[in-house]
Amino acid sequence: MNIIALVKQTPDTAQLSASMDGVKLSAEGGPRIVNPWDEYTLETAIQAREEHGGKVTALCLGPPEAADALKTALAMGVDEAVLVSDPAMAYSDSLTSARILVAAIGKIGTFDLIVGGRAAIDGNTAATTVQVAALLGVPLVSYVAELRNLDPADRTISAVRLLEKARETVTSRLPALITVVKEINEPRYPSLIGIRKAARASIPVWTCADLGLDATEVGSNASGVEWQSELPPLREANIEMIDGGPEDAARTLVDRLIEEKVI
Amino acid sequence: MLSPYEKILFALLAVFSLYLASVTFRRMIGTIKRGQGRLAWNGLPGRLLTGVKTLAGQNNMIRNRPLVSLAHTGIAWAFILYMAVNLVDVLEGLVTGFVFLEDGTAGQVYRLLVDLLTLAALAGMVALLIRRFIVKSPDLAVAPNVKLHPRATVGIRRDSLIVGLFILGHVGFRFLGASFDIAIHGADPWQPFASLAAGLWTGVEPSLLTFGLHASWWIAIGLVLAFLPWFPYSKHAHLFMGPFNLMTSPERTSPGALDALDFEDETIEQFGAGRITDLDRTHITDAFACIMCNRCQDACPAYATGKELSPAALEVNKRYHLRDHMKNLAKGGEDTEPMLGYAMSESALWACTACGACTEACPVGNEPMFDILAMRRNQVLMESAFPNELKGAFTGIERNGNPWQMAGDRMEWTETLDFKVPTVAEHPDYEVLFWVGCAGAFDPGARDTARAIATVLHRAGVDFAVLGNDESCTGDLARRAGNEYLFSIAAEGNIETLNAAGAGRKKTVTGCPHCLHTLGNEYGALGGRFEVMHHTQLIGELAKAGRLAMPGREDTPTTYHDPCYLGRHGGEYEAPRQALAAARPSLVEMARSRNRSFCCGAGGAQVWKEEEEGREAVSDQRFREARETGADTLAVGCPFCARMMNDANKRAGEPMRVRDIAEIVAESIQDERERTHHDDG
Repeated sequence: MNIIALVKQTPDTAQLSASMDGVKLSAEGGPRIVNPWDEYTLETAIQAREEHGGKVTALCLGPPEAADALKTALAMGVDEAVLVSDPAMAYSDSLTSARILVAAIGKIGTFDLIVGGRAAIDGNTAATTVQVAALLGVPLVSYVAELRNLDPADRTISAVRLLEKARETVTSRLPALITVVKEINEPRYPSLIGIRKAARASIPVWTCADLGLDATEVGSNASGVEWQSELPPLREANIEMIDGGPEDAARTLVDRLIEEKVI
Repeated sequence: MLSPYEKILFALLAVFSLYLASVTFRRMIGTIKRGQGRLAWNGLPGRLLTGVKTLAGQNNMIRNRPLVSLAHTGIAWAFILYMAVNLVDVLEGLVTGFVFLEDGTAGQVYRLLVDLLTLAALAGMVALLIRRFIVKSPDLAVAPNVKLHPRATVGIRRDSLIVGLFILGHVGFRFLGASFDIAIHGADPWQPFASLAAGLWTGVEPSLLTFGLHASWWIAIGLVLAFLPWFPYSKHAHLFMGPFNLMTSPERTSPGALDALDFEDETIEQFGAGRITDLDRTHITDAFACIMCNRCQDACPAYATGKELSPAALEVNKRYHLRDHMKNLAKGGEDTEPMLGYAMSESALWACTACGACTEACPVGNEPMFDILAMRRNQVLMESAFPNELKGAFTGIERNGNPWQMAGDRMEWTETLDFKVPTVAEHPDYEVLFWVGCAGAFDPGARDTARAIATVLHRAGVDFAVLGNDESCTGDLARRAGNEYLFSIAAEGNIETLNAAGAGRKKTVTGCPHCLHTLGNEYGALGGRFEVMHHTQLIGELAKAGRLAMPGREDTPTTYHDPCYLGRHGGEYEAPRQALAAARPSLVEMARSRNRSFCCGAGGAQVWKEEEEGREAVSDQRFREARETGADTLAVGCPFCARMMNDANKRAGEPMRVRDIAEIVAESIQDERERTHHDDG
């Protein structure tokens, strides 16, 4: 089966600290990682291929350095990787990004399954994958915590969705797009052999021209959403230290939590 | 002595035996050669001396199991002498009228030595057979949860019985022959025991005595001819493979210094050991040198706490596997069976604390720890199959430069000090570089130690600086966990940083023995040569030079836990004791200390994962031992030992105080300052 894994490169938000705020972190040169949820995307796609055969193509939209995220994908074990990158595409909002991705998916060809992460940790809109599914006209199964049954012959997929207060089992026809949550699996650590293979692989870069897109159809020109600033959100916090032995401290903590209507 | 017919028969049997032996010995050598790298032969005279010394001195094995070792020494010394005795006996048998050394003083001494050592060998062998087959010493058993080759339990007993009977037969009949000879030729005061035995034959027909003499010669020498080809298939090969193994072992900067892998060479397609032929030759030799005595098992913290790991079982399993495949391997055939399976279980592989107690305990120079770490390399680099918790630590080193995945400031620990700790950037002309380590920078307990070290250095007027946020994990845990690739990246970065800071021309001091080991013993192979010392070494020097005023006021009984990477791997046992003695004169040693120290349970990347399943936590056993000394303070010299012992202390209801030596010294200095301050006032 043909599987496409949607991968985004994001700033390493774990690096956020007193010495590095969001602006610094997002600035050029800050440490970049594979969007953590997309590690689960990749693992899901690779496991599906291991079980059913076929091919996994990792698709990433981003600046040239996002190729590093695709190297990680290749090292983990995807068969091919494509980077969609064009300076004109900068500042695309989620819908425009979805349009670009759909054009790239069209160029990749037929697919049975598209996998994405529940959201990206930078924008955190969780919208792009939804919009890709809508534009492609394929069913979307979001927040997948478990793949119950993937049957390429029968062209169906059955998955368990993790909702806020429930689990929901959904069956859909293929092709479909699923987004995954962290409960689905444990992403593999790339082996050295994988890292070497990835280092040797050349990753094609598709620009607007390659996708038949006009510069007016992408980037900030085509986007309705505009970002005003990238400052970290202000948080007001009061720190209260609770003294006493473990049991007393726990009791006080529970009282305080009830008082504050947290529980 | 022999008749012409006997001489012809002997010649035929000798040729046959030597031919068969050449076949089996070539199989063994061919199998060893299937390993990687080369056996070390450089500096041959020194290596030969090592061989002779270890053979004669029994590699100091008397340290452990003294009675058994004594019995063994009797047999071993007899065997060394018997190499000459057998040659002499064959010559005396073949050359009519030849008597070795005649009856001069040398001949008398020779005969006396043979007589005495023959008795020692017989007595020793009987004692060892009783120990194995009648007393059934538990030292010789392997716990049922440890993977052991299906034929090993029976095989080892059978092998031991055959060897035991061979020795009794060979040495016994040589002894009987001597007694018959005395009965024929008259008493020999230089063979007191054989003369005593000869008394048994008074009144026996001379022709019968002569027959007895010939029969004894044939049995004694014939057993050697029969045994020779079987050597490579028997664990008894240890008698020459042991010294051979010690003679050909690679030179290491430390007993625990691992070899680097070549990641540049694109033609290399195997990293670490998946199959036995992926091991270094010296580690295949280990299996042939192993006598299966389980001394390594006695010393292993994982085994002692009921994990699935026994370093002895690993060598036994390797040997039994090789026995089955020697013929094929020597011919160049492939062995496709993964070691992780027949050699040890997955849980055993990840139970090793890389403490080096097994290599320290082994009388024949085996290094089971290296096999384990080579197998871990295969699991991480080739299979990407390892305990999941380690992934977080790896990612932390990759992204944050520390296994805790902390994004914070590496200078935060200095904020509560009443003096400023300069960075190299601020103070490039420093004399001593203080390598704080990730623990010192981030772990709350280790921060106290880092502050104590800084305080001591400051009070003693040492001109020091730290690297601050330029410091990054040395990669020790990645290396011990098998992630050599990550280690090489970490090492490369740090070597660059250290060189830029001019550390190559200065002294570096660190509070972490793991950093000490990697920086000082392992970075050299990657081009980073630094003089690194442990903080207790520097504190010891400072105290000796009178630069630390310590009243030693609080003389409470204190015990000291040797960190594996300072002690066994670093060879430093005295400095921490001296540093400690400056502040706390009453040191009570634990039952297992110095080179026999028992790991805290943190090493070998254990602290970054859940402890493997077993009877108890390694740290609990060690802590119990510390408590049994009756001391109220447990002094440590490693942030990971500190953490393990602190946790064990908490679980036991905090009966002790766990403190780094630096903290104890710093407290003492503080007391002194306060006291002088008082006096002034």
